[in-house]
Amino acid sequence: MDSAMIPEGVKRCSPKVFFLWTIPWIGLLMWGLLSAALCLFKGLNQTNMTDYFAFAVWIVVDLAIIALGAGAFFTGFLTYIVGKKELKDIINAAVIIGFICYSGAVAMLGIDIGQPIRGWFIFWHVNVHSMLAEVSFCITCYLGVLAIEYLPIILENRQIQKVRTLRLAGENLHGIMAVFAATGAFLSFFHQGSLGGLFGVMYARPFDIRGGFYVWPWTFFLFILSAMAAGPSFTILCTKLTEKISRKRLVPEKAFQTLAKISGWLLSLYVVLKILDTIVWAFGDVPRAGLTFMDFFKEGPYGVWLLVCEILVFGVVPAIILMTPSARKSEGWLITGCLMNCTGIVLNRFTFTIVSLAIPVMPFDKFVSYLPTWQEWGISFAVIGYGFLLFSLSYRYLPVFPKEKELNAAAKQPA
Amino acid sequence: MEKKHGPAKGNSYGMVIDLDKCTGCGTCMVACSAENNLAVRPDESDKQRSITWMRLYKVTNGKEFPHAEVSYFPRPCMHCDHHTPCVSVCPATATETDYHTGIVSQIYTRCIGCRYCMAACPYHARTFNWWDGYFPKGKGLERYLSPEVSPRMRGVVEKCTFCHHRLMRAKTQAYAEERKELEEGEYITACTEACPAQAITFGDLNNPEHKVTRLAKSPYAFRLLERLGTEPKVYYISTKDWVRKLGDNYLPGEFKPISTVKAG
Amino acid sequence: MELNRRNFISLMVGGVAGLHITPLPWKLTDDIAIWTQNWPWVPVPPVGAFNKVKSVCTLCPGGCGIEVRRVDERAVKIEGRTDFPVNPGGICPVGMGGLQLLYNEDIRFTRPMKRVGPRGSGQFADISWKEALGLLGERLSGLRKAGTPEAIAAIDGNPCRSTISTLIERLLKALGSPNYLRTPSVEDTYSLVNLIMQGTEGPMAYDIENSDFILSFGSGLIDGWGSPGRMINAWGMWREPEMRGKVKVVQVEPRASNTASKADQWIPVLPGTEAALALGMAHVIIKEGLYNREFVNGFTSGFGEWSSLVMKQYSPTQSAKITGCQADEITALARAFAKSKAPVALCGRGKGTLNGSLYEFMCIQSLNALTGGLNRIGGVLVHEPLPLGPLPEVTFDEVSRAGIQKARLDQAGTPRFPYAQSLTSLFSKAVFEGKEPAVDTLLVFGGNPVHTLPDGGLFRKALRNIPFVVSFSAFRDDTAMFADLILPDHSYLEKMDESIWPAGIQYPLYALSRPVVKPLYDTQHCGDTILHLAKQMGGSIAASFPWKGYEEILKQRVKGLFDSAKGLVTYKGTNPVWKTMQKTQEVTPDYKSFDEMWNKLKSGGLWFRPAHSYGRWDTIFKTATGKFEFLSSRLQLAVQSYLRQNQADIALAGMGIGAGADAACLPHYEEVKQAFNAKDYPLTMVPYEIINIASGWIASPPHLNKTIFDDQLLKEDSFAEINPKTASQLGLKEGDLVFIESPAGRIQVRINLFDGAMPGAVFVPLGFGHIGYDEFTKGKGANPNYIISPQMDPLSGQPVWWKTPVKIIKV
Repeated sequence: MDSAMIPEGVKRCSPKVFFLWTIPWIGLLMWGLLSAALCLFKGLNQTNMTDYFAFAVWIVVDLAIIALGAGAFFTGFLTYIVGKKELKDIINAAVIIGFICYSGAVAMLGIDIGQPIRGWFIFWHVNVHSMLAEVSFCITCYLGVLAIEYLPIILENRQIQKVRTLRLAGENLHGIMAVFAATGAFLSFFHQGSLGGLFGVMYARPFDIRGGFYVWPWTFFLFILSAMAAGPSFTILCTKLTEKISRKRLVPEKAFQTLAKISGWLLSLYVVLKILDTIVWAFGDVPRAGLTFMDFFKEGPYGVWLLVCEILVFGVVPAIILMTPSARKSEGWLITGCLMNCTGIVLNRFTFTIVSLAIPVMPFDKFVSYLPTWQEWGISFAVIGYGFLLFSLSYRYLPVFPKEKELNAAAKQPA
Repeated sequence: MEKKHGPAKGNSYGMVIDLDKCTGCGTCMVACSAENNLAVRPDESDKQRSITWMRLYKVTNGKEFPHAEVSYFPRPCMHCDHHTPCVSVCPATATETDYHTGIVSQIYTRCIGCRYCMAACPYHARTFNWWDGYFPKGKGLERYLSPEVSPRMRGVVEKCTFCHHRLMRAKTQAYAEERKELEEGEYITACTEACPAQAITFGDLNNPEHKVTRLAKSPYAFRLLERLGTEPKVYYISTKDWVRKLGDNYLPGEFKPISTVKAG
Repeated sequence: MELNRRNFISLMVGGVAGLHITPLPWKLTDDIAIWTQNWPWVPVPPVGAFNKVKSVCTLCPGGCGIEVRRVDERAVKIEGRTDFPVNPGGICPVGMGGLQLLYNEDIRFTRPMKRVGPRGSGQFADISWKEALGLLGERLSGLRKAGTPEAIAAIDGNPCRSTISTLIERLLKALGSPNYLRTPSVEDTYSLVNLIMQGTEGPMAYDIENSDFILSFGSGLIDGWGSPGRMINAWGMWREPEMRGKVKVVQVEPRASNTASKADQWIPVLPGTEAALALGMAHVIIKEGLYNREFVNGFTSGFGEWSSLVMKQYSPTQSAKITGCQADEITALARAFAKSKAPVALCGRGKGTLNGSLYEFMCIQSLNALTGGLNRIGGVLVHEPLPLGPLPEVTFDEVSRAGIQKARLDQAGTPRFPYAQSLTSLFSKAVFEGKEPAVDTLLVFGGNPVHTLPDGGLFRKALRNIPFVVSFSAFRDDTAMFADLILPDHSYLEKMDESIWPAGIQYPLYALSRPVVKPLYDTQHCGDTILHLAKQMGGSIAASFPWKGYEEILKQRVKGLFDSAKGLVTYKGTNPVWKTMQKTQEVTPDYKSFDEMWNKLKSGGLWFRPAHSYGRWDTIFKTATGKFEFLSSRLQLAVQSYLRQNQADIALAGMGIGAGADAACLPHYEEVKQAFNAKDYPLTMVPYEIINIASGWIASPPHLNKTIFDDQLLKEDSFAEINPKTASQLGLKEGDLVFIESPAGRIQVRINLFDGAMPGAVFVPLGFGHIGYDEFTKGKGANPNYIISPQMDPLSGQPVWWKTPVKIIKV
């Protein structure tokens, strides 16, 4: 049965090895499910979130994986709209990663809100002025789009292909994928932006407040840009990781290079704008609130090093690496560059969530610290477990990488 | 055809808290808790998770003995005006600014518990129900609950409502007496009523006759974090420069002390 | 149709699609959302008709007027009354949370019980009232039969001179025991000062609202002293914009309490040296001739002796040396005080839950005398006690007649402690050290001595030597945990009781609380319990208690107020009494008959006299000289009678007086002698009280836990305040867990660095560290009373609790 599911012409490990491989991920998933059950039945007192840390590690993970999952929409955009044909070889992986990230994020949000059963009130009693409403709408819709994008890949499974209707459905879907790519791109521009806007509109939090264009604060655009820069890097990383683990070449180098180049250039554009934004904020918004730049970097462990890391170490450096053709052509540097790029973006999301809530605004308020409970870690890690599991299953049973057969036949690599 | 109207007749309920009078006794907090059916947990020492609508902040002047001095900031919800930080962010419209009263409401049965409003509020005026309300069977604590305010369920955000039910109470009374407008003092919050120092004054900031309106114009009056533009409807009064300075963030040299006026 | 795979899939897809067209999923989604909005475990308060009941709060001696909002028969909110003269609308946080003392089943006794587990375990079994009274009656009768009625003792925490206290004292007399004790309170020290210096028996009545210079020596004016509803209201009044600069409040104490911080001036003095500051001020006032010559020359006695003592020993420099403040500060303060129009100096300590120091209070009262502040507007008014009707004489039988002649265990009233009424520390000591159980049965009323007595836990230890302890408490308090029998009282909102002349109020006031709700449980008014007990015991005891119920006794006492023909029973709330009094000397009663008066009183009303005749310096003092006595003739008498039995210096030392025979009968400063090496215990522990923690008998209502800061209580640990400099010398940081150790024991607390704490002292809050009550209170924080090594206040014999040598050890 197992071998009958595996795509034609590719080699996969034995069911036993595959089962062993999934054990840790299933373990993480179980840990997460237990945590989720506790949080849902006993309430959010199972976490270490407080009234001060209303948003905490879950939101950091949410924001991070949504940014990293941006590879899906952006690669789709490049492939179907811009017409970068070489990316067709990696688009499937990008879509699956995107689907994992978004479905993981939505699941986490479902646990994060205090009343998950009424979560749909966001749609029913929507407040159109709320960035979070926009985020919720777009994420939900986009998750649907991702599911539709994912569907034809599933339908390509050897056994499903045998059913004529499904095969035809899959083929037809493929044919109109550009429509969904466009829809996904549109939705993503908005919710990636709104996630940034989420913070930028908190005008009573001087750490977050930004000026902007019409109803959109600058963070809106910075978040779109940074997600577009980090998403492809993350797709590269995941694919490279799959290649390492499966000890096969899966995607032609050209696809990697195209993505890396675009990632690098977008990142450099982002870094320049982020530096400008930080300067405008530090010399405009901050003193207007009666504070100095250093007021935000003197409490607890949150020093200026955080900003230096985010912008210079994990911003400027990976941008240079990815923009330099000779550097990104070396696999080591490519991976380093992508990894640093992703780290920088995660750090950015962490700062906006945690540091902005940790720094007291009232002069007589005090700094409080926060560390997640095992339940919070459980749910965060469960997303990783879930990702590995779903990606492994997809890789094993679906023709995720169209060039896999070709590349490995040519290289005559051992399986 | 456009009909000419007079100035807007809407009320803008607000509060002035005189910090010179405030003794930090905490009666306002207790009155608020009792009035609004706040649940008390056996341990309330985790102040980051303790539900309080009116919270007392202790502040010190930072000087050494024997010049050290303590003061207090009682902090209800500021009921920020027009572009309220929390209202604009709520995705489910579970909190709203009432244009007729200026009161920022919270609809517990609609709140989904996303806590975005809490992140947006710099005053920590919003608290989350991390637990179910603590009313264990057999203890009988639920017997003192008032039917005017519904107890909250786990997983929602709650906050000071300026004792909105008291406004309803006063209005019902006024309507029964065939009056449309409330007299000054007819509607006051539980904390206002309870304060033994009479440090809290409550009334309509749109009504120039009301004491709050007059007090809010005092040279010693200020609002918390005023420069952020939240437009709080809660004012504070203190003749002490160091207390007033704690009401907002100031860059060096920005704060202008008022030389204490000698009454004569 | 064949169910092949294709059909099956079609069916599934069609089914799912079809299901969504039906209302079912939408209805379900909606229904469970509605379920989250109406969770069955979220209480829904029943609705009903709103109504209000007016009454008086009897949780503390402050006697604030309260109005209880009810829904049908259910009380839902306590509010302050605006038609009550004590507190114009405001009440304190404890009173505000009072419903949690009524409706919290776990902190109350709901029926009579007897102990089944070991003492302190809190394990009791239900019994009936009949059984309970039978058990107690038999025991008491047994002791009487054995001719040892003095082995019965009672400790009483009810307000001074209250009817219930009178009844308890009467019960002891009728039984034949002299061992009736009261828990120490500041009222004891006030009464003593008034008696010794003025010969009067009325309470201390400060006309602070009319004063323009309030100099408080340690009284927590806004930290719960006196009647909080009145004091905080006055404070708010002084801080009105139009009053700015017109009234000056100066607070003397070693810690920046709320009162000290919010006062116009804070004068920190070393713990227990307040008297020296007052004397330093007196020195300046006398030296610069700033005193009221008319009063001092005409209506005082012993001024010469006292002024020469003050001039010799208490110059500002000398005073500064003792108190740790600046000499010029003392001089300036003295001048400002004496030159004010209506200055008043208040003596006290914290809330006044515990006693003060006699000589210190005398020194402070002398400042009032120097400035002519006695019975003057804005000063200390001199009053007679409330004219309550007397109860008939106790009927004695042989046993009781012999019993009450026996010596009190605490030596109160003996020549050594001539004016002391009761001395709990000595009582505990006698019981604890006695080989034979000196007390067989201890009755505990309206107090929680295990927790509140500042005796280093001596009372708790003494309980081991008492075979049978009976608690009449409404609460599962710390003392009740050690009781063998519980005869529970109603909670304060379920019974009729009285508020007798609220603490510190400047005019006579008597109010009755009324039952706000019907008793919830099988409890009984303590007064009725006593009557039932007496009736059951029969004989002379029953004869001493001829009343049918407690209400009848109250009525008999109130008849005295009626007979005085000098009071009112209605207060409209428009004009405060302290204003009316200025211009009113006498009032005509606003009631015609006793029944009218009684009925008005009973409906949560009050009787008060908003009138006063000031001055009258020639007639108000009831001393031997008929004057205010700096040199007290009563003290002279006492000292002499003691001297007759002993050698002079030994005798004085025996009375705890270190100042020598000349000063013994004059207001002077006595250094607290410590029996321990200062090197071993280099720090001084000063317990302090805060208004939002009940530190007396009752527990804090749980709502108050929200008001306690996390640098006062964190989880199970309370905090000791210490100056950052002292802390750094000791290597202590904020939040450190430490033991505070005294010769009497150790408590565990956390460190809170506070710049308002005097260096060298450790300030520990009172009211934490309960071993009784329920989960909201029990086991939270540490009780400094447990490590106070009680020195004895000279002459009064009361414990010196404000200064204990301690050291700090890191855990």
